[in-house]
Amino acid sequence: MSLMTMIAKMSEGLEKTCAIFFLTLLFAIPLGMIVALLRMSKNKIISGIVRFFITVLRGTPLMLQLLAVTYGPHYLFGADISRNKLIPVVIAFSINYAAYFAEIYRGGIESIPKGQYEAAAVLGYSRLQTFMRIILPQVVKRILPSMTNEVITLVKDTSIAFAVSYEEIFTIGKQIANSQTSFMPFVVAGVFYYLFNFVVDRIMGLFEKRLNYYS
Amino acid sequence: MSKETKLDQPASAPILEVRGLQKSFGSIEVLKDISFSVTQGNVVTVIGPSGSGKSTLLRCASFLETANGGDILYDGEYALKDGVYAEKKDLNRFRTRFGMVFQNFNLFPHYSVMKNICEPPMLRGCGKEEARERAAQLLQKMGLEGKEDAYPCQLSGGQQQRVAIARALALEPEILYFDEPTSALDPELTGEVLKVIRQLAADRMTMVVVTHEMAFARAVSHRVVFMADGCIVEEGSPEQVFEDPRQDRTKQFLSNYTK
Ligand SMILES: Nc1ncnc2c1ncn2[C@@H]1O[C@H](COP(=O)(O)OP(=O)(O)OP(=O)(O)O)[C@@H](O)[C@H]1O
Ligand SMILES: [Mg+2]
Repeated sequence: MSLMTMIAKMSEGLEKTCAIFFLTLLFAIPLGMIVALLRMSKNKIISGIVRFFITVLRGTPLMLQLLAVTYGPHYLFGADISRNKLIPVVIAFSINYAAYFAEIYRGGIESIPKGQYEAAAVLGYSRLQTFMRIILPQVVKRILPSMTNEVITLVKDTSIAFAVSYEEIFTIGKQIANSQTSFMPFVVAGVFYYLFNFVVDRIMGLFEKRLNYYS
Repeated sequence: MSKETKLDQPASAPILEVRGLQKSFGSIEVLKDISFSVTQGNVVTVIGPSGSGKSTLLRCASFLETANGGDILYDGEYALKDGVYAEKKDLNRFRTRFGMVFQNFNLFPHYSVMKNICEPPMLRGCGKEEARERAAQLLQKMGLEGKEDAYPCQLSGGQQQRVAIARALALEPEILYFDEPTSALDPELTGEVLKVIRQLAADRMTMVVVTHEMAFARAVSHRVVFMADGCIVEEGSPEQVFEDPRQDRTKQFLSNYTK
């Protein structure tokens, strides 16, 4: 198989890799905020439970979580294994990444000085206004570097979907590698992930630059 | 003008009245039975050693801390009665009557000077044009014209504190609280902030100022309150408190400043 056909074949997985990447961000970014707010709840029971789930999600391999979400329902309830693997993949990735994002958000929120809340309270901002207008924008700026790290990791983690044979780039590359007994597909995959992250890094850099108007 | 006439009516209620205020953090009693009041156009300075409860007193008056007992009245209306707070919507109404200037300014760093000053009135329904106009006037008064579009990080501490004062004034409070407004500033920058507060006093703004600047307290205030260990030890005119303190505790405290 020529390099060109190999690249062409693997590109067919590009769409699926992008689907995992963007859908995970779409769900994990807001879900992470909900998890972070619950984690910071004054109610000890709620924060305790959420904290436990966060430690489980961060303390066990994403691949294991992916297998559990994809095949768990089958073993537990005899449900059909979903034909469209995108759904379990996105669910597993979103929950896992939400746990990581939540801890980043929490760190960001807790790093905002108490005085910001107090000034807002005296100036008549409601709790929601204080959060949306005063706290959140400052949190976004503070957490952007950590978020960039996570997003870069996510690009690479999409390859874990090969564990449930979801045909993204890495899965296709592995199939070709097996049938052709060649290492070349892995090199192609590596180059692909590198280029993807090169773009991600540039875009996140732009965001950081836009928020550089104050320090 | 109307302020002047109101001053001559002894029947009108003080803007702020605190009676028997108590506040504890856990088992530590930080405020024990504090009573004092501030009438229209008066400047009250609060002095006292570190940890005596001065900040806590202002924070209770501005609802940043929850008092455990006593009364707080604004214009004769109860915000706190016998340790029980008024309803939330009433507290929000009382919040429109006071402003607070913090030791660390607490400006919003992601907002320009203009937005810091304009947003609070606009959230309370003030039109954008009106808010901007008033902000521009206040900035001029604070000697900060031309700084509208600057961000707090681009300003000196003294300038930031003056923006914070303008931000508080933009809501047109009846009474303004200052908690050590110059303590976080380099010595050469305290003057510009004190000057602005003096100017407000001359305009008959009602103020409570916690400060360690004794010369300033003496020059600007109508009454001086000396606090120690959660109590008001002595209260009187600046001449009386500074020149002829009656309590040993006051004498001892003031001797640290005259050395
Ligand atoms: N949130 C809090 N939790 C526990 N203790 C507190 C809290 N805030 C203040 N205190 C205690 O209350 C006492 C009074 O504090 P406060 O800040 O009112 O003093 P202060 O007179 O303003 O002192 P300073 O001149 O140092 O600002 C201190 O002993 C302080 O440690
Ligand atoms: Mg203090």
